[in-house]
Amino acid sequence: MIERPPHPRHAPLLAIKNLVTAFHTPAGRIPAVDGVSLSIERGRTLGIVGESGCGKSVTAMSVLRLVASPGRIEAGEILFSSGGTTLDLATLPEPAMRSVRGGRIGMIFQEPMTSLNPVFTVGDQIAEAVLLHRRVSREAARARALEMLQLVRLADPRQRLDEYPHQLSGGMRQRVMIAMALACDPELVIADEPTTALDVTIQAQILELLSELRARLGTAIVLITHDLGVVAETCDDVAVMYAGRVVEQAPAAELFARPRHPYTIGLLAARPSPGMKHSGPLRTIPGMVPLPQHFPAGCRFHPRCAYARLPGAESGSGRAVPLPAGELPCNAAVPPLHEVAPGHLVRCFHAESLGPPRSAQEIAAGGLFP
Amino acid sequence: MTPTQPTRSGGFWAEAWRRYRRRPLALAALVFVGWLAVVALCAPAIAGTKPVLCRYKGHLYAPCLAFFDRRLEPAVFARDRFRGTYPQNLKEKDPDSWAIWPLFFQDPYRAVRENEWPGRPANPARDEGHPSASHPFGTDQYGVDVLAKMVHGTTVALLVGFVSMGLAGTIGIVIGALGGYCGGWVDMVTSRFTEIVMCIPTLVLILALTAIIEKPSIWKTMAIIGATGWTGIARLTRGEFLRLRQSEFVMAARAAGAGPVRIMLRHILPNALAPILVPITFGIASAILTESALSFLGFGPPPPSASWGSLLNDARSNYSMWWLVVFPGLAIFLTVLSYNLIGEGLQEATDPRLREARK
Repeated sequence: MIERPPHPRHAPLLAIKNLVTAFHTPAGRIPAVDGVSLSIERGRTLGIVGESGCGKSVTAMSVLRLVASPGRIEAGEILFSSGGTTLDLATLPEPAMRSVRGGRIGMIFQEPMTSLNPVFTVGDQIAEAVLLHRRVSREAARARALEMLQLVRLADPRQRLDEYPHQLSGGMRQRVMIAMALACDPELVIADEPTTALDVTIQAQILELLSELRARLGTAIVLITHDLGVVAETCDDVAVMYAGRVVEQAPAAELFARPRHPYTIGLLAARPSPGMKHSGPLRTIPGMVPLPQHFPAGCRFHPRCAYARLPGAESGSGRAVPLPAGELPCNAAVPPLHEVAPGHLVRCFHAESLGPPRSAQEIAAGGLFP
Repeated sequence: MTPTQPTRSGGFWAEAWRRYRRRPLALAALVFVGWLAVVALCAPAIAGTKPVLCRYKGHLYAPCLAFFDRRLEPAVFARDRFRGTYPQNLKEKDPDSWAIWPLFFQDPYRAVRENEWPGRPANPARDEGHPSASHPFGTDQYGVDVLAKMVHGTTVALLVGFVSMGLAGTIGIVIGALGGYCGGWVDMVTSRFTEIVMCIPTLVLILALTAIIEKPSIWKTMAIIGATGWTGIARLTRGEFLRLRQSEFVMAARAAGAGPVRIMLRHILPNALAPILVPITFGIASAILTESALSFLGFGPPPPSASWGSLLNDARSNYSMWWLVVFPGLAIFLTVLSYNLIGEGLQEATDPRLREARK
């Protein structure tokens, strides 16, 4: 089932359709990603946000088919449109996949301290990334490495080329990682929490660099993060994930102004905002993220949802809203990801009936969650 | 780590070398092994009965190379019936000839006869050959000079260590790397195979293999020691590969499009090499001991190769010849000790935990 209407003009750069990635552990099958659908347009930045364990990193790793065993892609398509052809990365043979990794899709990791090989110089590592995909001489690869270090604005690039990772600071290493990811002019860069391990000032520099490079090189970026502030600053589109599924995808401005999914509404309400008057505790969403082994049936957010409509018998909490005739209860069926406004997709039965969308300020001030 | 040091610090190995140099004992051991290598290479020039370089009938020859391989002896000397004795034959058959002689005129394979070197008596044999000015380490029961034997035996001692551990290291690293990197059934097979080989007592296995092979030679002995001594290295390599396979930089290399062979050889192996080098160094020491033990038991390389262990074997027939035990034993002891000191130095120079503890 293709849940998203086809784009009017051109195919998206990357379209993930109903991706299922599960880990087969002795404790049983754990579906870390369970039916994720996403699309990324050329030259745009898509932010994927969600709590720890919601499957955002596994989604990214699935795109590059780097999910470590016992994880396996079990279903779905990952359509990557590059150079006039569309490849299904979920089934592409391994040798062809290798030329996609690094060549057409670059990846930036969370931990710059450990993502560089300690025994090689920075220049060697960037040059290696070039040599893996281009038939060029060692000198040309080294020249490219220098060019990349200049591009990511590392101080003293010529000297840094011959230095080892342990001689660089975290921010500098992340710049090197970005240089490596971009060395072969990929069409897409996946950045898995690229700033989480860095301190705030360096974070801002790295994000600024990423935005600038995207504008200059036209590379599409998938930015995985749990920081809503980062998303607001850098992303064109946002996908919100919860318990292995995308619950809402919309342009960033739209999502922040008019969140439709109860989980997104809750997330935005939980942010501290500059306008907050009192110094009380921050708002929270009641309950806990369910473990993948114990995902609830139907909408996975319903046990924590203030709007959940459940059959009367199961409502001990008093939160239950009487079900109008003919409507499915939230715990009975998986709500489809459907379009509620142009480009705005929500996975909730009641997205339309939740009343007029509210702005983030209203949510923060009014409080939807008692 | 000292990141604030103003001097430019090099790579991992440059750092390790900097730390290694701070340990005087380890450094002395390295110098000793280096000196042994020089002795092994120059053995025919240090002790021998053939000229290092000579001019004979208008041509230059280096007959001493015959000690490395008999085929290297120039044919002209066989034609002119030298029969291996050069000093007088050279003068008699070509009065214009000249020769540069080894530092110490003694043969590792036979006793030097009377007047072979003008004016020098024959080597004493049996109990007579105790250490003296002309024979610092004495002679064995056939009158062969012990110092000459030991100088030429250095080659064997060093070769045994390097060749057998080179072989063991290669087998161990390949098996360990495959098991650790591939995991799954490959790991099952390689680990069980390693354990099976481990279960058999090494010396018994070596003796059994030595008994089977035809025409024993020093190379076959080395091959056998190597083929049985890789288990520890394989286990350690497997562990290192298992650990590094999960590391972020390996994931980053895979994300950059590197294939499994490149990841194993270029990304994991250099990082795993430091801990693997340590047991290889200790392995060299134990290979030398094993070879000595084999020679002592009479299963060593046959006579033409003079090994330190076979000198010890000679001593068994006559216990009054203490010099046959003391000098080769001391040489084996010092060499094995040196390799162990080098291994320990390597360990402390490359292991971050020990490094911090020593500070």
